[in-house]
Amino acid sequence: MKPLRSFVMAGLLAAAVGGMATTGNAGPTVGDCQECHGDKTIEMTMPDGTVRSLFVDGKAYRSSIHGKAECTACHVDAKAPHGKLSPVSCGRCHPDAAKSYAQSTHGIVHAKGNQDVPGCEDCHGKHDILKAQDPKARTFRLNIVGVCLECHEDRVIEEKYDLPDQKVMAAYREGVHGMASKKSGLLGSAVCSDCHGNHMILPGDQPRSATHRQHIPSLCGKCHSGILEKYERSVHGKGMRAGIAESPVCTDCHGEHTITKISDPASSVYVKNVPRTCSACHDKEAIATRYALPKKRFSSYMDSFHGIALEYGMTKAANCASCHGFHDILPASDPASPVNKANLPATCGKCHPNAGENFAKGMIHVEVSPEKAMGVFAVRVFYTIFIGTLVTLFVLHVAMDLLGRRRRGKAKAGKTEE
Amino acid sequence: MREETRGPVYVERMSVLFRVQHMLLMISLLVLAATGFALMYHENWLAAAVVRLEGGMLYRGIIHRSAAVFLMAQLVYHAFYMLFSREGKRELREVWLTRRDFDDFLQAMRFNLGMGNEYPRFGRYGYKEKFQYWGATTGVFLISVTGIILWAETFSMRFLPKFVLDLTLIIHGYQGLLIFVVLLFWHLYIVHLHPSVFPMNRAWLTGKVEVEWLRQEHPAEYEKLKGEGVI
Repeated sequence: MKPLRSFVMAGLLAAAVGGMATTGNAGPTVGDCQECHGDKTIEMTMPDGTVRSLFVDGKAYRSSIHGKAECTACHVDAKAPHGKLSPVSCGRCHPDAAKSYAQSTHGIVHAKGNQDVPGCEDCHGKHDILKAQDPKARTFRLNIVGVCLECHEDRVIEEKYDLPDQKVMAAYREGVHGMASKKSGLLGSAVCSDCHGNHMILPGDQPRSATHRQHIPSLCGKCHSGILEKYERSVHGKGMRAGIAESPVCTDCHGEHTITKISDPASSVYVKNVPRTCSACHDKEAIATRYALPKKRFSSYMDSFHGIALEYGMTKAANCASCHGFHDILPASDPASPVNKANLPATCGKCHPNAGENFAKGMIHVEVSPEKAMGVFAVRVFYTIFIGTLVTLFVLHVAMDLLGRRRRGKAKAGKTEE
Repeated sequence: MREETRGPVYVERMSVLFRVQHMLLMISLLVLAATGFALMYHENWLAAAVVRLEGGMLYRGIIHRSAAVFLMAQLVYHAFYMLFSREGKRELREVWLTRRDFDDFLQAMRFNLGMGNEYPRFGRYGYKEKFQYWGATTGVFLISVTGIILWAETFSMRFLPKFVLDLTLIIHGYQGLLIFVVLLFWHLYIVHLHPSVFPMNRAWLTGKVEVEWLRQEHPAEYEKLKGEGVI
């Protein structure tokens, strides 16, 4: 790469020096080009009948990042007057970007001659390219979303290429990341390119993609590094590291474009939604069997007072994360886990100050079966039989009593007749 | 025959005080059942509707506990009244379970099955009424004890392991169901559907029953009142 870059630089220098030495009979200057292209009315009819303006805003060009160069730096074969010019190759000066781009989904499709996918100019602009740090640049952090959405919110393009639909994009705009950049202009908030990359964008199912599952924790960790550190220690993080694809990464719990504040009732990790989010995996028979996880965690929780209260909107009732933790979640067998037997008094004690060692005896998730909770099971069976028997006896008694009454009535009727 | 031409004659069976107690008991039990079963059968759509009607889980609990305090106050008041007031002492003697009630029950069964010729001659309260009274009283007592343990859960946790509280919770719920079933079925039968009172024994509202009804259903009481000159 280095030799290539120096070769190009040398070539450019040579061209510039050559140009200076032979002013007049070599390539045209910006001023020369502007004589025609500075005219706002200059246009050309294309073979397909569309009219294309050939006007170039000289002032915008002069203030662009390339403004000090002559037009011929990019339009290498431009003379005055000239016919159709060869296409501009940005890669002549930006070989790294060109190489990354060529490997991306955009680049691969573009190379096939497809004009729907963006080339350099669609994102960066043409004559008016500004440094990405300039708030007016198309590629300035706060402007990137708008640039990507020019195509990714276009229904025709979405349908033609089977892309995520507008709902996904709208979810980002309304999500915590989209709102932070839109409402507060927060530069630290994630925009499209922070997760998806810029030149080297690939679909998430490809292993080299920045948004592939295995890269997600480190990707989110670029900004949320403290949380990444906790996650790495957790059973989920360790599982992910060990290559277990079913071990959850950030997006499995938090969502992707839909990520909202934890206090937002629409968030998948909002207190009320936590049990269902965890159960997406933990209530799956196959996963529970494969990793020898305890079963019926969801139903036993939802039948407990915590579950019922949460379901009916008492958000201070304990949800999964209240006891198990979340980013640094560990199996109960780990002495550091808040749900390890030894730590239960302290964990329950967060809400129930009197819950001591004595209290922690017994199951928390009461699964009513003879093996798991004999007492509760027995009481339930006893009452069911007792109440059932009682009702049966009632009915029998009522039937007999009515029968007997008829006899009594007859006896009485007989008496009065006597 | 002459009595009938004069229209039914009534005699008091429930004093005002007992009617008030009955009314309050009924209200608090209904409130407790509605709020309690909504929690016990929380996954049921009707339960969900009831909880919303009651203003959510928090208010459901507050209503349930308020009604429970009210019920327990009634229980204490009733106990004192039955033990120490003149009317209460008399009623307690009448409703006290004796060997005779069991014999009456067997005799009634025999009669109903056609194995005996004599239907028992009940006093003021027959075995049906006594079963109702003592069943409900012990039920309410048991449900009160478990209810207090659960209510004072922060206090209970100091002494009771979680599995004991789990048991308490399940006993409380099923005990409620038991009381509800007994009241629903038994009460429905003896004071509503029984042919002698259908559609309803109105004593809980008016306090009075027909003398003729008393003579047929509680002959011993009828004769006693007659002997005392009340009727």
